[in-house]
Amino acid sequence: MATYKLELKLNGEKLSAQVLAHENLLSVMRNKLGAKEVKNGCNKGDCGACAVLLDGKAVNACLTLALQANGKEVTTVKGIGTEDQPHPLQESFVRHGAIQCGFCTPGMIVSSKALLDTIPNPDRRQIREGISGNLCRCTGYNKIVEAIEDAALKRKS
Amino acid sequence: MINTRILTQEFDYFAPESIKQVVELLERHGEGARVIAGGTDLINQMKEEKMSPSCLVNIMNVKGLRYIKEDEGLRIGAATKLRDVRAYCFKSRYVALYEAISSLGKPQVWNMGTIGGNLCNASPAADTAPPLLVFKARVKLVGKDGERELLLEDFFTGVNSTVLQPTELMVEIHLDPPGDGAGNAFLKVARVGADISKVSCAVFLKRQGRTCTECRVALGAVAPVPMRVKVVEEMIEGREIEESLVAKASEIVSEEVKPIDDIRSSAEYRRQVAAVTFRDVFWKAWDRAIGGKN
Repeated sequence: MATYKLELKLNGEKLSAQVLAHENLLSVMRNKLGAKEVKNGCNKGDCGACAVLLDGKAVNACLTLALQANGKEVTTVKGIGTEDQPHPLQESFVRHGAIQCGFCTPGMIVSSKALLDTIPNPDRRQIREGISGNLCRCTGYNKIVEAIEDAALKRKS
Repeated sequence: MINTRILTQEFDYFAPESIKQVVELLERHGEGARVIAGGTDLINQMKEEKMSPSCLVNIMNVKGLRYIKEDEGLRIGAATKLRDVRAYCFKSRYVALYEAISSLGKPQVWNMGTIGGNLCNASPAADTAPPLLVFKARVKLVGKDGERELLLEDFFTGVNSTVLQPTELMVEIHLDPPGDGAGNAFLKVARVGADISKVSCAVFLKRQGRTCTECRVALGAVAPVPMRVKVVEEMIEGREIEESLVAKASEIVSEEVKPIDDIRSSAEYRRQVAAVTFRDVFWKAWDRAIGGKN
């Protein structure tokens, strides 16, 4: 079976791997590049747990062939902030209790980062639209929306 | 339909940079070759094993397939992301297209999916189809025998099937200029946000005072292909618009559609909802034609 060379930048680091054409970005991230922070939820594009930024735009890694990301920049929740230097969004999620089981959180952070990059001061409707591709079964979304709103305000001041 | 959630089949992969190379690859690999653009539909179909291509040709690196420009109407490159089309059509003269894209997915899908992909996939429920049909869109196809252009309504031939030859690629979608006094709208009925339509409807019309001078109506998810309802258009064009006329027209819509029973709805439900959806969309477009918002 033919393998292809995949080259991409993961959270700022240049990486390469040999992949098969039918491997999706989700499985390559988790199993070949060690990026376990990308979660496998529904694996059919409904839940957004596997959302990553592909050249700055949120996409579902489960609906993306690894080769479609060739030559591109992939950012996961770990590339947005670290434990020592968390992004304001990450701090805000913690402060607002916007995390319960935590499974949707990596995708939520990715989608809300993409939102704030396009709309720095979103209203509640825009926030809800920005995370509409991400399902959370614990929080009822209110705390997540509040966390994003607060992070946007904090960034402004 | 079981979605195994993994891609089991093996295939070859190419990412050419020109239309010419795409056509050559499609020709070389024959019937088993498929074009992949965003892949948001195709990859799920492959996971469901509805489709097992032996070769995928990714067209997202091809130059000159991603653009939106005003030129005797609106010209959209087939590989233009839904995100870009949606942003362009917001508060534009093509607002029905904005409404359709808004309803067909969420940010992750708009960021990956393309307008040409939505059409070539040829789902009866493809949400960009009804608005494009009422804007009298033409599609440009390029293949080994050169280029051809046809009306979108002649493009679809059945469920997931089109006139596209195995060696052909859609390159452009061309919408008619709406002109003055025009209004348009799109609405769909679905179970939850971003779900597949049970019924969708788009209306384009022009008005002078109380008279409707031009009218086009299209529905999705109620027949094997997204369809125009010309009987209704003829009934309305040139007439003074009254509640009773629109009510009568909506009854005809319900008679003209050819829905099926499936997991999402019964045919009977679709017929009734098609009538109501048409009526709501018509009035929305009618109000917009004189600058109204809703």
